[in-house]
Amino acid sequence: MSCNTSVTRVDVSSVGQAQRAPVHLLPCEIEHNGPAQVSQYLTATTKDCKLEKTVSFRGRGLKGQELSCPQGYTGLVLKEINKPGSDQEDRTVKVSSVFDKLTYWNLETPPNSDDTIVMAMDWPELAEAIHGPVED
Amino acid sequence: MATKKKQTPNLQNDSWVVIAADSVIDTQKNDSDPAFVRLRNPSTDAASLYMLSSGDVQLFEVKAFEEDFHSWFVGQTVQRDGRLLFLTPMDPLYLILPYLMTSGKEGKFQPVDQVVMDEEFPACSRLLSLTRSLAFLHHIAEEKEVGKLKFHRYNQEKTMNWLKKKVERTVAMLKARSISVGEGVKSITYIRVKSDSDYHEEDYLRYAHGLISQYLSEDLSKALLDHLQLPELTSPKETEPPSKKRKLSDKPVEAGEDYTKFNSADFVRKPSKKMTAAQKSLAKVDKTGMKTMSSFFSPKAKAENK
Repeated sequence: MSCNTSVTRVDVSSVGQAQRAPVHLLPCEIEHNGPAQVSQYLTATTKDCKLEKTVSFRGRGLKGQELSCPQGYTGLVLKEINKPGSDQEDRTVKVSSVFDKLTYWNLETPPNSDDTIVMAMDWPELAEAIHGPVED
Repeated sequence: MATKKKQTPNLQNDSWVVIAADSVIDTQKNDSDPAFVRLRNPSTDAASLYMLSSGDVQLFEVKAFEEDFHSWFVGQTVQRDGRLLFLTPMDPLYLILPYLMTSGKEGKFQPVDQVVMDEEFPACSRLLSLTRSLAFLHHIAEEKEVGKLKFHRYNQEKTMNWLKKKVERTVAMLKARSISVGEGVKSITYIRVKSDSDYHEEDYLRYAHGLISQYLSEDLSKALLDHLQLPELTSPKETEPPSKKRKLSDKPVEAGEDYTKFNSADFVRKPSKKMTAAQKSLAKVDKTGMKTMSSFFSPKAKAENK
């Protein structure tokens, strides 16, 4: 229970040095954290069509679409540089990348407005209805 | 369902993809950094992750949006954890309310800083510094001023009126965005429809009530249902399979593939199962009591589980 007292600080000054990185959401779990040759094997072979992007990834056809962050929102990738030894210590994360749009990929299915990630982008607006101040 | 390949737990997770309100990273006025803190979730009574802005001015909710079998590419790196976290401004009154209600049982006017205290969650006293806390306490409490001191006492009638306005705001938004609120939607997620004339006022009210109830104790949620003059549902619709209503895609998929989940409408309900095992081993910042996006969009689940 004591871990409820620790906080995780976001080092905001790191935003200035954060790189703008292309961000892709893939329809598969990759059991790895670390470097990958994304631009060589994904970006380079991506075809841009009118309604969707297509690419072959590990022999499977992916169909994707670019999504912008909702208005008033920014995409951040937070990264913890030094992990503390215990769960009672305070922690710090840095902003390692920023983005204002992301590309999500479906397996075979063309991207459409019922895709859950597309609907998730409506969450800030719904949250504003639930959390905005009410008048007297 | 296809047999699942055994997965190794994601122990080395040290990064998170977040979509944050611009005000999260705006610290011009203060020199302190925003921070994730654990506070008591008013609905579950357990720890949840929230964020306090720089200088404790604003409160943000942390919501994880998760689908099974997803990972990120960020620049030239792989991030295995495929969740997307949202940081959105939150009304602090939802978190203050349970403390006021508890002390209100004594029937006395009390200074709020003696009421909003929690040994288990010491950060909760910081809630009172937020610009939207003290200034809006009159929505949920009676105020008494003695000299320069202010005293408060929980008031159910005020709270109900305040919550009703919340519901009305939410209904207006749902209508404006043509978000589908009918039966059968609840267990999937919300969907857009071209025409919303099929839905009745009551559907919108119930849906909005469900959304707001995610921030209320069970008792308060029931009281609000009463206040909105909505009878409790005895849910005869349980028999109807939710997946029958609509599928995200009817494309045939090869049997024996894990990927079937991407074409079936019910995959969004899965995360909780997977999360529990994986979450335990995950770093702390991303786990405690966070609700998944999909659980959020199934507002009536709570009532029906009984």
